[in-house]
Amino acid sequence: MVNLPPQLSDYLFRQENLSMPVRRPPGTSWVYSKAASWRVWAQRFSFIFFLALAFGLLFISRGNYAAVERLRARALDFFAPALDAMARPVVLAENALQRVNHFINLQAENEKLRAENARMIQWQNAAIALENQNRELRSLLNYKAEPALSYISARVIADTGGPYVRALIVTAGREDGVREGMAAMTGEGLIGRVVEVGEWSSRILLITDLSSRIPVIIAGSGEHAILAGENRPNPRLLYLPQDAVVHVGSRVMTSGHGGVFPPELPVGIVTSVDKGGIEVTPLSAIGRINQVRLVDFNLKGGAFNPMAGNIEAGSRPR
Amino acid sequence: MLSAFFQRLDLGVRRFVPLVTVLAFIFLGAVRWPVPYAGAISPSLGLAAVYYWSIHRPDLFHPVTAFACGLLYDLINFLPFGLTAIVYIGVHQLVLRQRRFFAGQTFYVLWAGFALVALLASAWQWMVVSVYNNLWVPVEPVALQFFLTLAVFPLPAWLLIRLQRVALSQG
Repeated sequence: MVNLPPQLSDYLFRQENLSMPVRRPPGTSWVYSKAASWRVWAQRFSFIFFLALAFGLLFISRGNYAAVERLRARALDFFAPALDAMARPVVLAENALQRVNHFINLQAENEKLRAENARMIQWQNAAIALENQNRELRSLLNYKAEPALSYISARVIADTGGPYVRALIVTAGREDGVREGMAAMTGEGLIGRVVEVGEWSSRILLITDLSSRIPVIIAGSGEHAILAGENRPNPRLLYLPQDAVVHVGSRVMTSGHGGVFPPELPVGIVTSVDKGGIEVTPLSAIGRINQVRLVDFNLKGGAFNPMAGNIEAGSRPR
Repeated sequence: MLSAFFQRLDLGVRRFVPLVTVLAFIFLGAVRWPVPYAGAISPSLGLAAVYYWSIHRPDLFHPVTAFACGLLYDLINFLPFGLTAIVYIGVHQLVLRQRRFFAGQTFYVLWAGFALVALLASAWQWMVVSVYNNLWVPVEPVALQFFLTLAVFPLPAWLLIRLQRVALSQG
């Protein structure tokens, strides 16, 4: 083993000297220059090799091969702890800020909540009356009660894809019962669907993503349309019938067509209607989601009631 | 004997500083910020780190490292597999060939060089993702991300310069 003088080895193994024509330092043997020129070629070859490999992978991944999908799901599990660790300080800071904010607005918020509470009590009475009526009508029709839907709660640990893919990574996977295609919701409404499932983490493609296409229905008018994501904050309605009249403020819900989502999941509200199209603002503040609920609807079957999860098991009519 | 071992270990660990910073920046780019729409335009910090190390310490940042970091970025971000790997390898090679130009230049030149690199990277990613989806990816989010990346570049660059001085000054 030849021990090179420190300055020389430094000179030889620095790339700046390697990518240029090799200049032999005075007083050194030709062996060193040979070694250096070999390294230049090795470096060029590795560049071409890895570039070709990357192009090959790009071509292969276009085919949606199962092996690539599996690798992606495995990688998701592998990197989830690191992403989670990175996300925690942000969540802590966010919570602390929220607490300060709440403390400052305590009085105003209290009044708002009192007013809201009074309104909610009225709604509750209405709901109880309707529920009783509904039960009586169902018993008249011999209607078979729908089984309760199950929800899986998960924490958001990453917001990925930048301007190209709008997706979230959450901390629930196959072990928790998550399956591909499940609807992802917040308390307010639909946010996307599960597209990739690892053992303990999964990925949700948001409704704002470019490739997201959801069959929806406009509440009130009953018009069917497709809600298409554009990687912008708000998705748009496509394929509406020519004579359809859509107003700003109309609610948009899933139609259940195509079987991807159950019907009547709240999605958003029409916020602008112009020549450029009809824009829908999602009900959930998609940029600020902390927790999601993944909805298991395929297993249970039947019509879907988005309010089911909000009613405690004990209070549900049997 | 033992001290020699630790010295070698120390030097060995220091060699991974560029790789670790690129990985950390890639992960940082995926953090969910509690600001609406932040995720869609989060700056490409990983690209900034790849650019920086390709200029300043290419001996510690090889094409294989660029390739692996790019694949990792694609995996985390649900992008076509290999898309960012091509970007990172391309940036590494492009910058390496222009190292003589960058040597001894001011920070503004480094910044301008990065503007060109980030522009090429954005254009490439925009094109491939558009082809993948069979429709044009809206340009505004891509443009916003590009400008944001460019605007924040001094911050990761400053961090990396400090880190290089602290950890790699002997190399």
